[in-house]
Amino acid sequence: MAAEVSQLLLAVVQGIPAGATNEDLTKALPDVPAATRVEALNILLQQGGIEILKKGEKLVYRAKDPEKKSALPKDADNEEKVVYGIVEEGGNKGIWIRDIRMKSNLNMIQLNKILKNLETKKLIKAVKSVNASKKKVYMLYNLEPDLSITGGAWYQDQDFEVEFVDVLNQQCLRFLQMKRDNAEKKREGPLAFKQMSCCTVNEVQKFISDLGISKVKLAEADLETILKTVVYDGNAERVRQQDGSHVYRAVNSPLPPTGLVQMPCGICPVIKNCSNCGDVTAITCEYMRDWLD
Amino acid sequence: MSADYSHLSSAILEQCFGKVVQAVADCLFSATTRTLGQITSATKFSRKEAALALAVLVKYRLVDFTASKQNPFLAEYSLRREDILCLLRYPRYVHLVQTKYGNVGASIAEELINSGSDTATGILIKCLAEGENKAESPESYRNTFLQMVTDHYIIKRPELLVGDDQDENVPKFETNECDFFRHPNIDLQLLAKIRKGEASLTEARDSTMVWNLNYDRFHQDFRDTIMVDAIERKLGENAAECFRFILKIMYNTTDPWQRKLSNQITFVEIKQAIERKSNNLDLMKYLDQYISLITDDSLGFFRRVGDMGGGVYVVDMEHAFESLAFACVESVITERFGSKAARIFRVIRCKKYIEQEDLQKEAMIPSKEAKSLAYNLFQEQFIHVKIIKKPGGGSNGPAKAFYLFQVKEKDTVRMLLDASYKSLYNTIERSNFEKNEHKGLIEKSQRLDSIVETMKERGETDEYIAEIVETFTPPECEILNKVKNRIKTLSKAELTLDDTIFLLQMYQHHCTSLPTGIRKFK
Repeated sequence: MAAEVSQLLLAVVQGIPAGATNEDLTKALPDVPAATRVEALNILLQQGGIEILKKGEKLVYRAKDPEKKSALPKDADNEEKVVYGIVEEGGNKGIWIRDIRMKSNLNMIQLNKILKNLETKKLIKAVKSVNASKKKVYMLYNLEPDLSITGGAWYQDQDFEVEFVDVLNQQCLRFLQMKRDNAEKKREGPLAFKQMSCCTVNEVQKFISDLGISKVKLAEADLETILKTVVYDGNAERVRQQDGSHVYRAVNSPLPPTGLVQMPCGICPVIKNCSNCGDVTAITCEYMRDWLD
Repeated sequence: MSADYSHLSSAILEQCFGKVVQAVADCLFSATTRTLGQITSATKFSRKEAALALAVLVKYRLVDFTASKQNPFLAEYSLRREDILCLLRYPRYVHLVQTKYGNVGASIAEELINSGSDTATGILIKCLAEGENKAESPESYRNTFLQMVTDHYIIKRPELLVGDDQDENVPKFETNECDFFRHPNIDLQLLAKIRKGEASLTEARDSTMVWNLNYDRFHQDFRDTIMVDAIERKLGENAAECFRFILKIMYNTTDPWQRKLSNQITFVEIKQAIERKSNNLDLMKYLDQYISLITDDSLGFFRRVGDMGGGVYVVDMEHAFESLAFACVESVITERFGSKAARIFRVIRCKKYIEQEDLQKEAMIPSKEAKSLAYNLFQEQFIHVKIIKKPGGGSNGPAKAFYLFQVKEKDTVRMLLDASYKSLYNTIERSNFEKNEHKGLIEKSQRLDSIVETMKERGETDEYIAEIVETFTPPECEILNKVKNRIKTLSKAELTLDDTIFLLQMYQHHCTSLPTGIRKFK
């Protein structure tokens, strides 16, 4: 009985953000006897669903944000509470230790002790940011770090997974080329060929997940970034559709290999220093000698 | 004009004309104009030598002269710096003429190249005397010559103005635009007489009309080939054929060296031209599709600007050569710094301005590698940095600066062009060095060859010949082959290098307002 009433009461209290007085509660639930109401309020207080505030002489009940339900044990001291509160404010983006110190006005030694204490109690955790490897940020223990901190699917323990990205890049390119080769076989006019060689991100996503090379599930946005790298490699083109979305297709380079890079001077790292005199000259050039023999 | 180009042109001139011409040209290269007196005092050659060198350069159309403003009796000479590079393109010119006009055309072009400039009769006499194609009649030579004039491959030089006061003054020339490609009157009977020795060349009526190769026309063909090949690589043969027709139609109404956009072309014009001249059924069937394919392509060669007559289009030279030149720059970066660097370069070009952090995210390259690649590209001047400073200090908080990467396209291309000039210079230097190093050996083998040749003519026995050949020892033979191979590789590299140079020069012509070597009909 009391449990049911407590839910009703909670709903009423949540309806009044400024806080509900006793009169509000009796008005909202007239047929609940006072004894049951008190019992129900006690249950809510125990669960931490509401808090009691004093407004003048009256008592006011206010709903607590269930997300923010404090996990801080009762025996925590004031400093711990303050630090915990600051970390809590940081949300899943985390907060840097220097900012905590500025906000809490605690000295470094004390703060370190408190943070360590909270960490061992598994109330907060330290997460390394991918943007700056030495920068640690603190956040509540149960929070999932934001993408800007972890870097998303491409990071494993704050390390960028180059091989993973490279493999995906190659596979995407292979898929686009396969698609183009298939379209080429059909011979249905140039526009049809072009259209058939285009792929949407969705198709690519399906292909990649069917391949099973990725342990994590890749979202379309993730594959879009990969496809963009294929475009930036000059192997594909990004074509804008009429509805604003983009499709991708494999393309050839418009030029044969450049003449300049077919001889050592084109890729010479010291060409700037090359002249008729000095240590770097065409006649004594080692790159040239290796190339000619 | 860069220092690299000045070295290159100096090396080319030395190779073609020798030291004196090289020194005179070097002296002219560094100045707008010089008089003969200035040249002799600067080069320390005698007046006669310097004048002879100038005469050679004038004949090969590498030096212009005009009367000085202060003194009408004094000539001022100026070098046509851009044309010096064309000396290296001669094999390509001959090859092009060969494919278009066969052996007859090729021998005409070769004679024109050898003599720099000459009268029509003079050229034909030389061609006939050369006698590589004995079967060809003088008529066919004449007709080919006239056809080449009609097709603008050969151009008439300005004619000397003859007047009373001409004796002392610096010669003046008459430049008449409609006269450049007017057919000369070639008298075949006189030609026959001259060949028999019954008449002299000065009797020919066209002795005042001097002709030479029109480089611009050749360059136009080279440019078209680059564009059509690019279309073929990207969109296939049919699209390339379509684009070839488009270019042909474009030249009907547009000056070939118009810098940015062509004049307008309608769909109907293209369709008619293709229906008349092409027998490619696939192309005719899907013509509208091919055209929209070329129009939509990211290369941006062709653009739709209106709807009249089934669609009005222009050829966008500026965009075309921007795409092509940067495909070239990107390929250089790929070879030199790796494909990741090329990716970074493309990201920067695509985003115009981008910060380091965004760059590595967009390119999906770990920050350390991305930084090192970007800084390398910056160091080699492929990319540039723009700094935006936010004023600070006082109550505004600390001063802040943003470092944004960007590609200054013109600077990048110029840098690469200079690198190409330098590379070309290096190949020439190296080739000269190899030749000098093994001069004795090369001369010996040449002597030996000529001895063997004469012995064969005299009908000596094979054994005796073999004995003579054996004086050339196997190790010598090996070295000689090695050197020959080296020189061959180097000259091949010269040709491929010139492809890059030509492409980048086209970029400079079509995408910038810099003065370029192309000066219509002068």
